Amino acid sequence: MKVRHLVWLRRITQAISLCFFLYLLIVSRLPQDIYQDYSVAFSTDQDLRLNQPVTFFFQLDPLVSISSLLSGNTFVRGFLWAAGVVVLTLVLGRVFCGFLCPLGTIHHAISWFRPTLKGNRLVQANRKTPAQRIKYFLLIFLLVGALLGLNMTGLLDPIALLFRSVALAVVPGLGAGLLSLFKALADSDIHILRLLTYGGELVAAPIFGYTYHVFQSAWFIGLLFLVILFLNRVRPRFWCRTLCPLGALLGIFSRISVLKLEKYPQKCTECNLCIKHCQGAASPKPGQDWETSECHICLNCFNVCPEDAVAFKFTWAFKPNRQPDIGKRALLGGFLAGVSIPFLGRLDGRVDKFSDPRLIRPPGSLPEENFLELCQRCGLCMKACPTNVINPTVGEAGMAGFWTPRLIMTLGYCEFTCTLCGSVCPTGAIQEITAKEKIEKPLKIGSAYVDRGRCLPWSGNAPCIVCQEHCPTSPKAIYLRNDVVTAPDGKELKVQLPFVDLKRCIGCGICENKCPVRGLPAIRTIAAGETRSLKNQIILF
Amino acid sequence: MNIDKFMTRRESIKTLLKISGCLSLASSTAWSSKFTATAGATSPKSGFIVEGIGETPDYDVKELVRKTFEAAGGMTKFVSKGDVVVIKPNVSWARRPELAASTNPQVMEAVVELCQDAGAKKVRIADNTIHDARRCFALTGAGSVSKNTGADLIYPRSSLMREMNLNGNRLGAWQVYVPLVEADKVINLPVAKHHSLSVLTLGMKNWIGAVGGSRWLLHQDIHQTIVDLAQFFNPTITMIDAIRIMTRNGPSGGSTGDVAQKNMLILSDDPVAADARAALLFDRQPNSIGHIRLGQKWGLGTFDFQKLEQNTVSL
Repeated sequence: MKVRHLVWLRRITQAISLCFFLYLLIVSRLPQDIYQDYSVAFSTDQDLRLNQPVTFFFQLDPLVSISSLLSGNTFVRGFLWAAGVVVLTLVLGRVFCGFLCPLGTIHHAISWFRPTLKGNRLVQANRKTPAQRIKYFLLIFLLVGALLGLNMTGLLDPIALLFRSVALAVVPGLGAGLLSLFKALADSDIHILRLLTYGGELVAAPIFGYTYHVFQSAWFIGLLFLVILFLNRVRPRFWCRTLCPLGALLGIFSRISVLKLEKYPQKCTECNLCIKHCQGAASPKPGQDWETSECHICLNCFNVCPEDAVAFKFTWAFKPNRQPDIGKRALLGGFLAGVSIPFLGRLDGRVDKFSDPRLIRPPGSLPEENFLELCQRCGLCMKACPTNVINPTVGEAGMAGFWTPRLIMTLGYCEFTCTLCGSVCPTGAIQEITAKEKIEKPLKIGSAYVDRGRCLPWSGNAPCIVCQEHCPTSPKAIYLRNDVVTAPDGKELKVQLPFVDLKRCIGCGICENKCPVRGLPAIRTIAAGETRSLKNQIILF
Repeated sequence: MNIDKFMTRRESIKTLLKISGCLSLASSTAWSSKFTATAGATSPKSGFIVEGIGETPDYDVKELVRKTFEAAGGMTKFVSKGDVVVIKPNVSWARRPELAASTNPQVMEAVVELCQDAGAKKVRIADNTIHDARRCFALTGAGSVSKNTGADLIYPRSSLMREMNLNGNRLGAWQVYVPLVEADKVINLPVAKHHSLSVLTLGMKNWIGAVGGSRWLLHQDIHQTIVDLAQFFNPTITMIDAIRIMTRNGPSGGSTGDVAQKNMLILSDDPVAADARAALLFDRQPNSIGHIRLGQKWGLGTFDFQKLEQNTVSL
């Protein structure tokens, strides 16, 4: 097999891996062809689940496994895949970065397709710089922080970052554009345009859905993603070289890899083609020491060298590679930052003193401390939620919980018999529960209360029972009492006044979602009373 | 739109052409006539009412549907060859069938099959659900019905909502779910259940699931708005599923304790009479329920269903 073939093998693997990632991302939602056979006796045990392994890339990611193990003392589902990647790295180096990582593939493609830098400037940009130590700083910072109970790896983990950016910003953004287009076409009276609409919707709906999907702070998630992509114009694969904590972790594991870059300085003609094509700024040129921990094993140098002055070879004699250039500052700085951040994160009192009333976690979520140990902030629950209620937090969970999930009832509501979010959570921060458990326990995520000044019947403005009508529990947690109130014109108005029975209310928020008073509804849901927290109970059962 | 299997590109294009052809044709006729066709509903007619009762312990629900339609003269009386038939079930809530929050899927399946046997070109199932449509269709069995029969299950979406003039007493322009007006024949297939404001959710109340927009506003004058919607949508025929009925905690229910087994189907071409008969199952006097009383007042039909041609079949 020639080197050229190996490079093509890498490109094909990268393409397949990226496509598979995007496929799994797109199918992280309830499909439209889902149904249950009603002739089989129904029971609440039958829960709707996704058929595809949507968490596969998170299982493949050693950083997810290691940080969950350090902070939550938990082996995540499918962690053996991650162990496999570690073993692969011990033998072959950072092949995950070069061959498998979907975010790396995107950076690679952007850097390769119409590069900004050319000639000598590209050679200069591809030389190793001290800035590449930042990723080790970030890795140490994140892992030490995780060990001390605050797992923020998901903010920078490439798989979580890519999933969050694409699922919460790119896909909803494109979807909103398409939906507006379809709506404009459907509203026109021109038949051919309507025809286009129905056709377009059949194609687009499986990917984008039939409704607008919106996420709090999605603009920022998208903007950050654009910035990270733009950095490839400064230096190729800027993210992978300088910032990626997973790359740093795999770089450390590659210390003893047996696949090594052999150099033959006598053959080198100083053409610098190897540096020009180097993805990792790993000093491939003969005469320099090969930086194993920076090398993505993209095989470009091997392929382009016209004199065969460099070659990847298996060397089985035990000889450790050049040690990763971590640097004392990154080591010490990362350690100090990692030690301080979990405590800084608690200074706002959200964990120890009080929790924000708006912080309603998805059903099945662990208690807050354990939740922050495991949540990767990847957005998988938010993508999968059929009602779009799960959103990334901004300040509601404090700094420590930035971009963790919370339910915004004005955007959606937690459907009574739905337990999809827990079934897709890669780390188990949201536990998988059955609809039966959710209903029979009952599992409360919060409580509703009536704002009598806004409520239509309470304020004498109109009869209305919408909250009670939608209440899903049996018997209903919202009950009505017949009464007579004074209408604005001074006449008596017969109404049914809504009350909330806190013992029955599960905090699903459908009342808030459907309340005719829009924006700030007359019945609202707060986190108080949630089952997962002992401190947050309201009444003695 | 058949949700059970992926379409080939060719199939989807063919379907599309057909759908859009029908829709545009129907819409152009509908627009030009400004829905004056609904005026026909206002003249009281001498209709019929058929009760199908399942008496044996393990009767076949689908057979009961067939017998009930036979007693009314057969489905061919209502559906002609080549018709586009739209069935409006009540599948608003993502609940399993035995909780009686949604139309019995066996009844739905039998009605779809009868329409197909009568030569309908296309049978569609359309409801603008309250819960997420995918979960509603999956849990209520509507998805399964569509898979078994090949009927189209239409996903509610904003491009299928169009503002139309309802010409009602209380309601004017409103967002209407297009598949329900762009059809040759419409069959109303509700389930009988309790409702906290309108007292009962029967045939006429089912039309709230045929509109979009700010539906919560309808609750502020529920009985009149129900009648306005019922005169607008004016189905060819109404069959009320009272195999299981929800007697309390309506309209969403959620417990088998709220469900009573009545083993009954009510078929009528008079929407008010069908509702009136079903009200008796809940021990309610028809004229004590606002929208049934108003339905007669506005000429949609009569709640004195005894005056109609009555027929009973049992199995």
